[in-house]
Amino acid sequence: MIVTRKALPRRAFLRGMGTAVALPFLDAMTPAFAATTKAPVRMAFVYVPNGIDMRHWNPEYEGALGELPRILKPLEPYKDDLLMLSNLTHNGGRALLDGAGDHGRCCGAYLTGIQPRKSAVDIKVGISCDQIVANHIGSQTRFPSLEVGMEDARQAGDCDSGYSCAYTNNLAWRSESQPLPPILDPRLLFERLFGKGAELTPQQRALQTKFRRSILDFVADDTRKLQSDLGARDRRKLDEYLTSVREIERQIEKAEHDNAQIDPGMGKPYGVPADFAEHFKLMTDMITVAFRSDLTRVVTFLVTREGSSRPYREIGIPDGHHPLTHHRNDPAMMEKVAQINAYHVRQFAAWIEKLKATEEGDSTLLRNSMIVYGAGLSDGNRHTHEDLPTVVLGRGGDYLKTGRRLTYRRETPMSNLFLNMMDRMGVPAVEHFGDSTGRLQGLDLA
Amino acid sequence: MQEVKAKLPPPPVGIVFDSDMNRVGNVLALALLYGFDGRNQNRVISLSVSRPDLRAAAFTDAIRRFYSGGGFSRGLPIGFADGSRLSGATPPMITEPLARKTADGQPAYPNDVQQLTDTAEPHALIRNALTAQHDGNAIVFLAGPATNLVMALSLPGVKDLVARKVRFLSVMAGAYPDGGPELHIKEDVAAAKRLFVEWPTPIIAVGQEMASALPFPGASIETEFAWTPAHPVADAYRAHKPMPYDAEAPELAAALYAVQPDQGYFKLSDPGTITVLDNGQTSFAPSAGGKHRYLIPDEAQRDRILKTYAEVISAKPVVRRPRFPAQQQEEKKEVPKPAAKP
Repeated sequence: MIVTRKALPRRAFLRGMGTAVALPFLDAMTPAFAATTKAPVRMAFVYVPNGIDMRHWNPEYEGALGELPRILKPLEPYKDDLLMLSNLTHNGGRALLDGAGDHGRCCGAYLTGIQPRKSAVDIKVGISCDQIVANHIGSQTRFPSLEVGMEDARQAGDCDSGYSCAYTNNLAWRSESQPLPPILDPRLLFERLFGKGAELTPQQRALQTKFRRSILDFVADDTRKLQSDLGARDRRKLDEYLTSVREIERQIEKAEHDNAQIDPGMGKPYGVPADFAEHFKLMTDMITVAFRSDLTRVVTFLVTREGSSRPYREIGIPDGHHPLTHHRNDPAMMEKVAQINAYHVRQFAAWIEKLKATEEGDSTLLRNSMIVYGAGLSDGNRHTHEDLPTVVLGRGGDYLKTGRRLTYRRETPMSNLFLNMMDRMGVPAVEHFGDSTGRLQGLDLA
Repeated sequence: MQEVKAKLPPPPVGIVFDSDMNRVGNVLALALLYGFDGRNQNRVISLSVSRPDLRAAAFTDAIRRFYSGGGFSRGLPIGFADGSRLSGATPPMITEPLARKTADGQPAYPNDVQQLTDTAEPHALIRNALTAQHDGNAIVFLAGPATNLVMALSLPGVKDLVARKVRFLSVMAGAYPDGGPELHIKEDVAAAKRLFVEWPTPIIAVGQEMASALPFPGASIETEFAWTPAHPVADAYRAHKPMPYDAEAPELAAALYAVQPDQGYFKLSDPGTITVLDNGQTSFAPSAGGKHRYLIPDEAQRDRILKTYAEVISAKPVVRRPRFPAQQQEEKKEVPKPAAKP
């Protein structure tokens, strides 16, 4: 028998005018009779500010995960894919003679393992671990990394006791003095992903809006051609994928329409939904698409800026988040903090559900990912930098042994975890990162 | 802001304490350092044990808590050498105080060390403690094998950090100017060799000869410590050997010199270089540019020193309050459960 089938390239695109829609992983991308193509491993960091109410985060047991504590409860259906890590510390977040400013420090140190320089102008911290990964594998994808956020991307000014807003408003650092600001506006992220990487000017966007129904219209010819070459299973996958892209588009259009009805009296980003959950869903839907179509393998997601005083009226909490965390043991304030923490995790769990439901070869997108969810402070009341709340969702492609809680010895650097993750992402042996003392033991299936 | 900072008096010197907690002298030395801590003459900033004996770590923590008097004790974790080649049974001076109960059956000396994960990696702990000190405002105290300190020195940047932050290393190890192999050296000869070669600051050594020169006055246990019916140091002392006895405690000299080097308690040798031999002996070679010296007992200071030992160690704890109270765990039950849906 002569095999004539040619495999579809992994990095194929549907192209149209000003548009390039990357494809998800399809069976047709596997060469006939070739060994099963391994899906890439993805890495994401999802950061929430102001610490966590640790009374409702840490379970009272070690080892195999049983019933999850209140804040983590929404992740209960996914606990087989959850690895909880306790006692990890960021010494670089501590004052170390620099006085007040724990919010600025903890966020700047989070992915760098370095104490930020206390300055509102002369910023300096260190390259973040996601960017080390992006530098090594970024050429294999359209975007070396994506930086996403939901609240504030100001880079200038003093955001915490002399610490630049660059520290509180960024997770990713390309170099010790160059942060990578997160994209807050879903429309801008959408255009980054599908608009050949260029964000449109308002005039271009208006023109496109006037004449188009969907970016999928621009790639319709390519889509039809491709569909005719695909098997039934791949056609279904492609259809689901394009439907999800269209759904994202609809959500953005809805947000834009809703925003047009109100005058916020300030320079609100063009397509940012007013509703927190909706915004979270849009951003994570796009991260899902970016992962699924291998547009990038590295994402940082700053849910809200560190030190955020955002109120959560969506759940009946009009008070600012940050002031609430300085509760001084007031039970009513502590309860509100726990509710905000749980609310964040509920949004996160909805994303995890989607990743788990996304098939990828004989696995799932979740299993092929390492999604770290956590904060740079543990107790937001006292600004503590030890026992940082940290869970990893996904197995990094059958690397992590999940379904467990691992408690490390006190003062174990968080940077040690990043060494393990950099290894898994294919970065050649990094001996040292931040304040690391070695790699975490016992993470993997070996 | 910077100007205000510059006018403030320097904070008390930070003490990094590392010990095998295998001799009563170690217990007394730690208590002496906490006694001075209560007088604001130093701050104990790091505690680590170089023997893989979890109860030694637990007792170290119990002493820390005792000297905090139930107040703020900076929540220091205990560094603990896990899986090193050092070993040995837990001495009675540790097991007996830890086993003591109050009238209602609670531990007389509570501590936070129940399992390995309650302790810290000692090299990370020591490194992190030094990063929080002003330049030249830390002193490292060692009374045990050099294992933990050498591990810390091996971390990237720590030699420079030590050079910047630490005034000197006060170490009870060896015998000077010459003598037989000493226990702390013998416990890890390789680490001791590296320590005396690589440690970047001056080293002040206290030799075994100090043991007989300045034994701790055992009679004070029954008098000066009598202000409380339960004192962990007094209990450890009694459990160490049948009373009465004056304990050999050269570690105390190293601790006293660490906190009060300018008080003239001891004579100092000329500068030189200490070399560790393969059999655990030390040799001292005088040299003008040498970074090492050793303490020489001064008979004229003997009574003054012994009085200081007893007074400082037996002093009542000074209670401090934290800036922010910790979250109260007992309130957990009072927090209402969230609604099923937001």
